[in-house]
This record gives sequence, C-alpha cells and structure tokens, in this order.
Amino acid sequence: MKRERLANGILTAVFIPLCILYMMPVIIVLYNSFKPNALINTDTFALPTAQTFTGMRNYVEGITFGNYPFLNSAMNSLQITVVSTLLLLLCTSMAAWYMSRVNDLFSRIVYYLCIFSMVVPFQMVMYTLPQTAMRLRLNTPHTIPVIYMGFGAGLAVFMFVGFVKGIPLEIEEAAAIDGCNPVRTYFSVVLPMLKPIYISVGVLEIMWIWNDYLLPYLVLDKTLYRTIPIHIQYLQGSYGHVDLGAVMALIMLSITPVILFYLFCQQYIISGVAAGAVKG
Amino acid sequence: MRKKKTRPVHAGLNSQLIRRSMQRWFPLFLLPTFIAFCIGFLWPFLQGIYLSFFQFKTLDNMNFAGLQNYLKAFGDASFVSAFWQTAKVAVVSIILINLFAFAVAYALTRGIRGANLFRSVFFMPNLIGGIVLGYIWNTIFAGVLRGYNTALALNSTLGFWGLIIVLCWQQVGYMMIIYIAGLQSVSEDMIEAARIDGANSWHVLRHITLPTVMPSITICTFLTLTNSFKLFDQNLVLTNGAPMVFDAGQQIYTTEMLALNIYRTFTMNWKWQGVGQAKAVMFFILVAGISLFQLSATRSREVQQ
Amino acid sequence: MKKLFALVLVLALALMACVASAQEGKVYFLNFKPEADEAWQALAATYTANTGVEVKVVTAASGTYSETLTAEMGKGDAAPTLFQCGNKAGLDTWGEYCLDLTGTDFYNEMTTDEFNLFGENGEALCAGYCYEAFGIIVNKDLLAQAGYDISGITDFASLKAVAEDIHARRDELGFDAFTSSGMDGSSSWRFSGHLANMPLYYEFRDDGVTEQPATITGAYLDAFKNIWDLYINNASTEPSQLSTATGDQAAAEFGEGKAAFYQNGTWEYANLTGNFGIPAENLAMIPIYCGVEGEDKAGLCCGTENCWAVNVKASEADQQATLDFLYWVVTSDEGTTMMAEQFGPIPFKAAKASDNVFFNDANAYIAQGNYVVSWAFNYTPNVDAWRAGVVAAMTQYSAGGSWDDVVSAFVDGWAVQYNNQ
Repeated sequence: MKRERLANGILTAVFIPLCILYMMPVIIVLYNSFKPNALINTDTFALPTAQTFTGMRNYVEGITFGNYPFLNSAMNSLQITVVSTLLLLLCTSMAAWYMSRVNDLFSRIVYYLCIFSMVVPFQMVMYTLPQTAMRLRLNTPHTIPVIYMGFGAGLAVFMFVGFVKGIPLEIEEAAAIDGCNPVRTYFSVVLPMLKPIYISVGVLEIMWIWNDYLLPYLVLDKTLYRTIPIHIQYLQGSYGHVDLGAVMALIMLSITPVILFYLFCQQYIISGVAAGAVKG
Repeated sequence: MRKKKTRPVHAGLNSQLIRRSMQRWFPLFLLPTFIAFCIGFLWPFLQGIYLSFFQFKTLDNMNFAGLQNYLKAFGDASFVSAFWQTAKVAVVSIILINLFAFAVAYALTRGIRGANLFRSVFFMPNLIGGIVLGYIWNTIFAGVLRGYNTALALNSTLGFWGLIIVLCWQQVGYMMIIYIAGLQSVSEDMIEAARIDGANSWHVLRHITLPTVMPSITICTFLTLTNSFKLFDQNLVLTNGAPMVFDAGQQIYTTEMLALNIYRTFTMNWKWQGVGQAKAVMFFILVAGISLFQLSATRSREVQQ
Repeated sequence: MKKLFALVLVLALALMACVASAQEGKVYFLNFKPEADEAWQALAATYTANTGVEVKVVTAASGTYSETLTAEMGKGDAAPTLFQCGNKAGLDTWGEYCLDLTGTDFYNEMTTDEFNLFGENGEALCAGYCYEAFGIIVNKDLLAQAGYDISGITDFASLKAVAEDIHARRDELGFDAFTSSGMDGSSSWRFSGHLANMPLYYEFRDDGVTEQPATITGAYLDAFKNIWDLYINNASTEPSQLSTATGDQAAAEFGEGKAAFYQNGTWEYANLTGNFGIPAENLAMIPIYCGVEGEDKAGLCCGTENCWAVNVKASEADQQATLDFLYWVVTSDEGTTMMAEQFGPIPFKAAKASDNVFFNDANAYIAQGNYVVSWAFNYTPNVDAWRAGVVAAMTQYSAGGSWDDVVSAFVDGWAVQYNNQ
C-alpha cells in the first residue's frame, strides 16, 4: 500500500507538468494575442514585455477588421447552434418515440434510413446539399437548422430509439388509460424520462454544430452570413491582409465561450460523450 | 451496440391502444423529422449518386457521361496518393492516440490526486473545432520550425507528423473518457483476488484489465479510424496538401487526404465536378465498408461473450 | 430634427428598395478584385440609395474566383447577374452565359473594343472595363538617398547593381532594396501571376503564340530565376520566411519607407498615396528587367483581365437592372470618380482623368517606342491550380529547395493543367 501511494504521488508529479504542456498551445495563443502583429511571426514564444504589450489593441482590431464584423459571425454561430440543437432534440426525440412505439413498416424504413445516414460522409452530399438548400431558401442562419436537423437526424434518432426502448411501457399505458392523448403523454410523461439522453445528444450536437466548418461554408449564403469557423478561415489572406495579432485575438474570443461552457457543464459533457461513443 | 430488436414481451393489447392513438399524430411526431431528413440527407444523397454519372456545369446544365467520371477518378494519381496518405494517417493515429489515451486513462483511474482536474485538461481540446485548432497549431509549428529554417508546408514528412500531433492533441482526451468508462467497470474483487494469488501489476493489466476494456478498445479503434478517414478541417488549415509534386501526369499534393482531395476536385473547374462526385461515391462506399466491418466485428465479439 | 429627418429618409429609401427590388430586378456583382471591394460596396450602396435598385456586391477571395463563380452560377435565379470573364479560358467555360452587349446603352459608352472579348460570331460577350499595368514600383526619394536615379536603371545588370548596393548598405541607409516577396495567398499572385508573365511573354513572343498552347518550354526560366533571386536576396525578410509573409507586409514595408522597390501594379496607387501618404512625385513604375536580350527597350506590362459579362441566364428584369447599373457606373459622377480612383483611365466616354502616375509612366514608355509586355498569363490553363503549383515550388525553392521544382511546376504543371481544364 505504501508503495502504491508513492507511485501515485509520482504519477501526480508527472501529470502536473504534462497537463501544463497540454495546455501550452492555448496559453501561447493567449499571450500572443497581446503582442504586436510583427512579433508573433518573428518571436512566437516570447512573452509580451512591458514594451511590446499591446493591451486590447488586437482585440479591437480583430472585432472591427474586414467588412464582416466578427460579432455578426459570433451571433450567427450562437443562433444556428442553439436553434438547430433545440429543434433537433425536440423533433428527433418525438420521432424516435413514435418509431419505437408504433413500429410499423414506415417507421422501420425511416429508422433504418437514419442508421444508414450515419455512415455517409459529408463529401457525398457536398455538392447537392447546398444546391437543395439554396433552392429551398434554407441558406440563411434562420433556416439552416432544417438542414442540420436533416443531416444530423441519423445519430440523434439512433440514440433516442436506443434509450426509449429501455423505458417501461407501463407508465405510458397508464397515462393513456387516464385519457392523455399522445402529445400530452409525450410532454408530461416521456420527456422528463428522456432527460439524460437529451443531455447526451444535446452535447454531441452542440459540439458538432458550433465547430462545423464545411457545411455552413457551403450551404450558407456566405456573402451575407458567416459563422466563427468561416470567419477565422476567411482571415487567411483572403483580402490581401493578415493581421496575426487580430487572428490570435479572434481565436481567443472564439474558444473562450467554449471553455466556459465546458467548465460549467463538464460532467454532462463527459458523460454525454461516454454514452454517445459507447452507443455509436 | 444496438440490434437484437426483440420486441418487448409485454407489447400486447394495451400498447396496441397507445399505438392506434399515436398513429393519428403521425404528422406531428414523425413527419417533421422525416421531411427534414429528406431535405438534409436523403434527396441530396440520391441526387449525388445520380450526378456521379454526369458531367455538369450547374444542375440545369448537364450531360450524361456514363462511367467516365469513375474512370477518370481511378486514373487520377492524386486520388490514389490521397488514399494512401489517408491510410497512413489512420494507422499511425490509431496506434498513437489509443496508446496515449489508454495510458492516461489507466493512470487516472488509479485514484491519484487531481485526477479530475487532469481529466478535464486532457478533454478540453476536443471542444475546439478543427479550423480554430489548426490555426492554433499553425502558430506553434511556424514558431518552432522557423528556427530550423523550414515550415510545415515545405516538407511532407513534417506535414504528416504535424497533422499527427494535432490529431493526438485533439482526440486523446475523447478516447481517454471512453477508456475511463471501460476501466471503471473492471471488477475490484477480481483484482484483489488476483493480487492475493500473487499476480503483479503487469499480470493484472494483461489478464484482467485488458480483456474487460476490450469493447472500449474496439470502439476507440473504429472511432479513430473513421475520424481519420473523414478528416478535413485540420488537413485544410495545416498544410492544405502542400508540398506538391508532379507525378503520373498529375499534380499531387503530398499531404492531402481523401476528403480534401474530393473538395479540391470539386473546385478545380466545372469539368471536374462530376469526377468529384464520383470520388465522393467511392469514398462513401469505403467509409460505409469500414462501418459494416466494425458492426460485424463488435457483433461477433458480443456473441463470444 | 435633422437626424430624425435623415432617419425617416433612410427608412423610406430602404422600404422603397424592398418594394422596388421585388419588381424591378436586382444586380448581383461577383467582384474579382479584393482591393476594390470597399469601393464597390460603397458605390453599390450609393446606387441603391439613389434608385432603390438592390445591388449586391460579393468579392471572391484571392485565387478562388473561378471556384466561387462555378459555385455561385449554380444558384439558379440567385446566380450573379454581373461577373468577371477575363480571358479565353473563362470565355470557353462561361461564354454561353454571356449576354451579347452589342447595342446596349452601356456598350455604346465604350471608347475602344481593344480589351473586349468576342464570341465566334462577333458578339461582344465581355467588356474590358479597365486596363492595368504592372512593374516595379520605385520610391524615387529613397533611391536618391542611396545616390541613384531611375534613369540609371535600364536593364537587369543596372537594376541588380543598384539593388545589391542598397541591400549591402541597408543598415546605414535605414531601408532595404526590395519589399518582402511573400508567398502567402494575399501576396503570391504578384509572382505566380505577374512575375511569371515575364518568361511566358518572351517565350510566346519568340514562338509567335496566339492561342493557348498545350505545352510550354520554359525557355526563359533562367531569366525568371535571375529576377526572383534578386527579389528574395535583397530584402529584409529571410527567403526561408516567405511562406507566411503577406501582401500587407510588403505594402507596409514600401509604404513606411523601409524598401525602395515593390513589384505591383497601377491598382496599388490609391493605397500608397492614400493610406500611406507617399507623395505622388516620389513614385514611379519601371519595367521588370530580368536579363533578357534587348530588354532595355521594354515597357511596362500592360493588359487586362478585368472584363464584365452579364449573365444571359438571369431574368430579363435582372439583366436590364444590371445593364442600367453598368451604364450608371460609367456615366455618373460617383461612378466615374470611383472608377478613376480605383482603376485609373477607363475606356468610356465619360471617364474622369486619373492622377495615377503609374499610367503616365506606362504611356511614357510607349511614347518612347518601347515595346509593351502584354499579359501572356491570360493563356494559363486552369489558372488557379497552375498558380498554386508554382507558388508551392517557389516557396520551396526560397526555403532552400531546388530550382528544378519551379521549372517542373511551370512546364509540367502547364501540361497537366492543360489536360485538366
């Protein structure tokens, strides 16, 4: 036992520097965001000194740079992620409940199609999906949730069906006998029981949609709308102008909400990931 | 895994009652998802297969091309090169990511102090998307390599290992979570019993821990495999395929992987859009094949248990 | 009260714009030149405020125009109504989308058809709306500080002597010879496009090329190496650091007086005199000398790839709206002012005089009987892909790689892209 405690002590001692090393990339970007543009390229790892510290200049520059304000991109990202996730959770969980309870031919076909869609890489619809979206005017941040719901339905339906199967029927039957119609049964009986799986699916969808680049890049009318990943990618030389200081600042601005979200919802995220992975 | 779709035994008369009343609500429950699914997946997917047999400028302007696109895709040396590059990345990242992830998970489940904090740190990079992640690492790599008078995009070996480092950094935490979940199900009693029988740590790991976490290993292996095959963002940002060579009458981007190659084919010029679509179909068959293989692998193992 | 009035006015206009655009057609211009993006956006807003017609201006990122155009053209009734189709390759692809401009009010305003592109039956498909010249921009003031004058630079040897002397004395002088030759996407087109024009031009001149060749020989790539080596070895940025150096960096080096030579074109004038405040009399543009026989009689590289085409597959209303917009751009005070500022002298009757000294230099060389180096790169097959290959090879070479890769990117790349297009 004593030996074990010693070994664990050593492990802790090893892990502390390891973790700092692991955080290093983010830390380096953080302090580079307070350095002048020129020094980032020539002296990447030097800490800002009293002379080179630029204060919030890079942040101001980054937010105001270009003809598309960063805040618009951030709001688009937020709107798309929140609306798509909520819509997706509500609709697919209802569909999953319907499929597993009704279980008729049509439900089964849709279910297997959903499973099938999970193995189809995005490249397969890379050309056609944006065309469809454009023709149906689903190429704005307000309407793109429909696309996310459609393309993301596979995994969500799969996970919800897996969970619903484990819910005993008796409660729903009791509700039906008490005269509840299915809508009320769903919202007052089934939904509360689905809470854990809601969180798992929600976490996975949020992580996917918030970070997604290619789908919104191709689908959104990118002349009018950008999301954060598109915005960051656009900074690279597209307008004869790369202000690395501003890029560093924008990177920090775009990962800060993610890290905050992580700090507050850590346990849900980790359990959500574990559940999702084991199922998927 | 799912399947074993045995209907609940008690799915009798009463649930028939539920079923009836539910079917009337079909438009509310199933229809929205189904319509979105058709728009966001089914129709574009079918149209994609159809288009792979055409040469098209836009959707209103296309000519039937038979198997031309597929032949052209096969004859494209850059596609073949991208396939091997993808395979290489997949193999190396599967080994490294799983090794690191398992080691970290193993250490963190031994009840060491600060395990929760460490776990949080290791998982954190996962939440950062591929594009932003790529730019973070671009800065670091540029800073390091500047001292050696080179850059990631100048040397395909550097480009390859750069990508591997980024993938490890991003995915180790994710796989670690899965391994931790697996390791936590290892029975303490069995380890205790083995210890009393005189087994050392290595024996316990080899004969008790590893067999129990086997399902996690399978899951993680396939996750890293599909992640590598679908990889796009990091590939785009880090090297965008550079450096480039000429070979077999084609311009070959040496660090380019399949997803990026398909993207590049689509955007080369309109005559190649059909070829891009044909490549996408083949890519889909490849990825679907891997997934089927995964399914049968996990299934046969479930039977064994 | 004034503010309130303005607000009401703006709202009313916006409302009108909404109503009008519903019936009167709209304009969607897919712009080719990132550096003119702001000016176009402002001009479009002015037009919308004046007439209520919606004008959307979208700018493709450098090196992605054909990719963006292909994607946008697939958008049915949301496709661009006005786009850029600047060379024969573009015409081959998009010719069937180009409206015959002959007889339109806008077309009748043109003073020359020299820069236009025509279809097989003589239809005017693309209207060259400006011409440009590029060369080596010189800061005459800095050159004088170093004890030189542009009259002494007449060929590669004299350019090399001046540049190497300035580079050797950079610490004493406080500036270097050339700006950084960045290979970042924001800057690399200056070399893979414009500088690469030199070997292409001389090769095509010798071979009498008049249409896109399937292969090139790279006969003048030694000259290309001469000038490239001169650029990268006589600048403050280490050659190995060029892969990430940006266009901004070079503009700033020149603008802030840290370098005497800067390869760029007439379009850079507004930036240099406006943003950086360099007095016009300090600026001059000289030919790119690269060690070719008889180049003391060379002039600037003049030509254009800036041609407007109107999408014939757009609705009638949109086509008319687009033509009206073009007419307004080349006749109205706001339009011609902006065009003169951004594009210099334009071939339209109502064109405003431009004070861009670079055009004066271009004309002066022609007047002296020097030959014009035409834009041979307009023949490049699959231009974005070819240039990407050349950029990659040049970056590698600059970081210590082999020149053979550059030759291969030129010659083999040309053959590959000819087959790919």
